[in-house]
Amino acid sequence: MSTLHLVRKSAFTTNDFAQCLSVLDQQDAIVLMDDGCYNLKHPLMDSLIKRANSTVSINVIANHAQARAVETLAAVNKIQMNDVVELTFNHQKVITWQ
Amino acid sequence: MKTLAVVVTTPPYSPLTVTALSYVETALTAGINVIGVFFYQDGAMHANENISIASDEYQAIAQWQRLQQQYQLPLHICITAAEKRGIACDSVDNEQINEAFTVSGLGELVELTTKAIRLVQF
Amino acid sequence: MISSDTTTESGLSQGNGLAIINSKAPFSSDFGKDALDVALLFGSFEQKVSLFFQGDGVYQLIANQDGTLVSIKDYLKTFSAFEFYDIEDIYVCQQSLVNRQLDETFHIENVNVLASVEFGLALNRHQHVLRF
Repeated sequence: MSTLHLVRKSAFTTNDFAQCLSVLDQQDAIVLMDDGCYNLKHPLMDSLIKRANSTVSINVIANHAQARAVETLAAVNKIQMNDVVELTFNHQKVITWQ
Repeated sequence: MKTLAVVVTTPPYSPLTVTALSYVETALTAGINVIGVFFYQDGAMHANENISIASDEYQAIAQWQRLQQQYQLPLHICITAAEKRGIACDSVDNEQINEAFTVSGLGELVELTTKAIRLVQF
Repeated sequence: MISSDTTTESGLSQGNGLAIINSKAPFSSDFGKDALDVALLFGSFEQKVSLFFQGDGVYQLIANQDGTLVSIKDYLKTFSAFEFYDIEDIYVCQQSLVNRQLDETFHIENVNVLASVEFGLALNRHQHVLRF
């Protein structure tokens, strides 16, 4: 079973993102939304992206990042809310980290 | 059949609720069967008829009401969470509760989770 | 890409019930109590529910606490009723304990202390997840 993780908080403030990463599985997907967008600039994101052989899909809601003037990264997919809905049903369950 | 249940834990005046609404509306537009939204913790504040948000700001309650009317989307308020937050739920014809919302209990959450293949929390 | 199999799924009957992740310390917010209310209600409806404790949530399990000293109704005492509600699967994140210099002295029995990988695997066995 693969999981969709909705990350809504900044790792600069809370441990939610770190806790998410500790249970992450190889076929899982992450969507950064709300203040989770700030995690694009966090060291944890950097190490996640650099993980060798990682197959975790990392996504950010484009409007949420743009609203916060956060630059996105090449390794992160810019998506819309309808993609989040689609991801909801492409994975077997959803965990919200807030 | 793609069935979805949603839990909302943020109040109507929170920007985080905008995201929840956007997700739910997007799902409904995509033809997903959203079988119900359960308002728990601060989400119970949505039932409060006395909430008055500046007219130039996002009107979350009106948006939920619109979805309820347009899609017959069931909106369930947790009674315990509501009462704790000063929303009187005791009488049948209750003026303190916005009519788009149904006063329910956690039992409704059990119902929703047994019927939905996906549960998403906001 | 794993495709969703929707023809025979139906909520909690697929997968192994509801997992509730507790991530907050017990006495500075309602999150612990709100999570407990959900857990007991699901248990009373004979729905499978498992409890996970991670991050500051592990503090909810530590022995010798007394919320009444800070005028808080000690809802932690209700944890002893888990077995009565058929809530049998209780998992604690070992790393969270280690980070907080906590030993495994809990106020309830049958707590499974798991390393991150196993904690994630246990979580993965459930159909729905709520996190408080």
